[in-house]
Amino acid sequence: MPTALAALEEAYTRRGSKDRADARAPVVGYVGADVPVELLTAAGVRAFRLTGDPESGFALGDRYLGRGVDPVARSVLARLLAGSFGDLDRIVVSHDCEASLRLFYALRELHRVEPGSGLPEAYLVDILHLPHRTTARYNRRRIGEFAARLEAWTGRPLDLAGAVAAHDERRRLLAAAAELRRAVPARLTGRQFLAVANAVLPVDEHVALLERLLAEADQLAEHAGRRVFLSGSDHDTPHVYEAIESEGQVIVGEDHSFGGLFMNEPVGAGGLDALAERYHHSGPTAHRATAGERAAHAAEAVRRCGAELFVAYCRAGDEAPAWDFPEQRAALDIPAVLLERQEYGRADLTALRKEHPCPT
Amino acid sequence: MPDVRSRSVKSLDTAAEAGRHQREWFADLRGRVAAGEPFALLNADVPHEIFRTMDIPYAVSQWWASLVTAKQRSGHYLELVRQRGYPDYSEQYNAVTLGSAFGPEPEAGPWGGLPRPDIVVCDASGDVTRKIFDIWGHEPGVTFYPLESAAENEVPVNWWELMPHRWEEAVGPARLDLLTAELENLVRFLETTTGRRFDESRFREVMALANEQEEWNRKARALVARARPAPLSVVDSIPSVMLPQWHRGTEWARDLARRFYEEVRDRVDAGRAACPGERARLMWIGRGLWYDMGFYQRFQEEYGAVFVWSMYLAIAADGYIRYGDDPMRALAARFAAFSDQLYTPPWSSEWYVKEARSHGIDGVVHLVSDDPRGSYFTARALEAAGFPVLEIHADNVDTRTFDDDMVVRVGQWLEDVVMA
Ligand code: SF4
Ligand code: SF4
Repeated sequence: MPTALAALEEAYTRRGSKDRADARAPVVGYVGADVPVELLTAAGVRAFRLTGDPESGFALGDRYLGRGVDPVARSVLARLLAGSFGDLDRIVVSHDCEASLRLFYALRELHRVEPGSGLPEAYLVDILHLPHRTTARYNRRRIGEFAARLEAWTGRPLDLAGAVAAHDERRRLLAAAAELRRAVPARLTGRQFLAVANAVLPVDEHVALLERLLAEADQLAEHAGRRVFLSGSDHDTPHVYEAIESEGQVIVGEDHSFGGLFMNEPVGAGGLDALAERYHHSGPTAHRATAGERAAHAAEAVRRCGAELFVAYCRAGDEAPAWDFPEQRAALDIPAVLLERQEYGRADLTALRKEHPCPT
Repeated sequence: MPDVRSRSVKSLDTAAEAGRHQREWFADLRGRVAAGEPFALLNADVPHEIFRTMDIPYAVSQWWASLVTAKQRSGHYLELVRQRGYPDYSEQYNAVTLGSAFGPEPEAGPWGGLPRPDIVVCDASGDVTRKIFDIWGHEPGVTFYPLESAAENEVPVNWWELMPHRWEEAVGPARLDLLTAELENLVRFLETTTGRRFDESRFREVMALANEQEEWNRKARALVARARPAPLSVVDSIPSVMLPQWHRGTEWARDLARRFYEEVRDRVDAGRAACPGERARLMWIGRGLWYDMGFYQRFQEEYGAVFVWSMYLAIAADGYIRYGDDPMRALAARFAAFSDQLYTPPWSSEWYVKEARSHGIDGVVHLVSDDPRGSYFTARALEAAGFPVLEIHADNVDTRTFDDDMVVRVGQWLEDVVMA
């Protein structure tokens, strides 16, 4: 039997495609960090997060979305149009960042004016993040609408309690797995953790593999190397992790939605109210939090994972993280470098190669 | 042949009057703020009507950015943003205004400089606006009040027909409930922090004046759409429409909108034309080229091509009017989906087609800037409806990225496509 880590890494190579579970269930591709996946599980649909591919062209994405949008969204759109995700019954999009929202509008409009494009119907779940009661009430309404829509699609009631419990368990295990990379030396690389967290598996299978991974922890290799905290843009693929770790670094923490950022509090037993609150308070992401919140979070996370170097990676077309950097640097007591306007899937590591990387 | 000047000619009385008023208003505002009154800096999509009602002096971030740009100072302010470590390539409209907060000598800015605001308000649209205003909110003495920017899953297409009275249908109750609640809270916040009162009767008056102003713009737009040749080009109409927009809810703005309508009507009656040799009617899509307004007139002499349409008059005509018994909800309806009208398909795309048809447009020049706002679908809808579209790429605030070759490209396109 392969190790749990090997099985998780194998499942990660299938990112952007459906898992092997129940072939009769409807298939939903979703976009962004703010889709309440618990509801998709509760509806009994097969759901997976749509990811881009920096190695295949996305000219059609450029055409429909314009080149000012995060290339991840452009790539996802191009792959949808190329049928790379297989047959999808629905697409669910969140408003986690401007690129996701523009992607939703493009999908909605293409569905309307170019029915020949073969795109399924897209649905927007508009979860917002200002820390106010007005926003909390709005989110609760949107969560309720989405739950009702899912019931209408599938024609059956949601099993919310069971789904939330399963996702909470997965979250708890992922937080435990994150401790393995915080160990000194790290027992998981950043690239491995990305695979562990984003393996494409039904929740119960994912949970079983995570349990086995933790049981096998003392067989995991040790990873020395300069300990890096990776801040900034989302990483829907391992390319940038591989580039940074290929030069003697190990990424021990990050603050984006495919990594350690979303392993926060469990949803618990509060039903839709609790779910709405959890998604309201998720983050702090580069796209929805203030620079001050991001800086405070970075200082705490860097301390917890014993990072020696802070790298803020900002993809060209994804400008929000660059606004966080001055505050983040001021809040840290380790060197910090900014990689600005990076090409999708690449990292210009010149700054990391300097002995003293701070630009000041 | 009259010479075609590369600087724009403000030939309307209302344009001159609006420009003069703007200077007076700003001088007066500076005086009031110097005398200790509160000052608010608002994004364009923030309901100013609240501040008008409470008589709190305010200015609009986008207006200030356009003034700075017209004075060739945007590069300077972006440099100040860069010096603090922030990106100078991101959301330059708001970054330029933030830069004026960082200047060591604020009074060295245009028109004596922007006073330091006590309150800054924006809607949290995109990924960056809230961050910029929040950073500003950390400057000494500045408080930031954010509003959400919410989105709707399904919308009816014909917003321009629904908005005046049936805005509840167009915008949807979720967004209206949210923004109405945020505005009620904003009023309480302003009452508390400024000590000023919010009178409902005054509020209704402000809302009525705003609707009257936009109704005059609507009548002017109808004249411009129908008249051949065009009585004026976008260069003439932009100052007469835009500047009063920042004073929405005043008698001055309402009256100026009426006088603008009368000027247009008099020109039509007298048979006056922006370009009597009119051979092509052009539509401009995108923000105005503030630093080069003469651009719009460069194609008149050689080609008889006149820019008769820009979003400024058209959105004034269609985008603001909201009637209803509950003025706070009507105000929320004005702003809860404001930018969708211009930038989000299907609203934007279908509206531009409607406007191109009603104005007898021969060709469309589309200024595509890096901010990602559904422009493909606008161009696609116009092309599908039979209008030739030329896309040019530039960001209108950043003079560093504008390219003089654009003039050549537009000329070539006029010859090869529009007039061929
Ligand atoms: S400035 Fe140089 S010495 Fe100081 S923390 Fe940064 S890298 Fe180290
Ligand atoms: S072409 Fe137009 S601008 Fe040129 S002289 Fe004739 S009317 Fe005037």
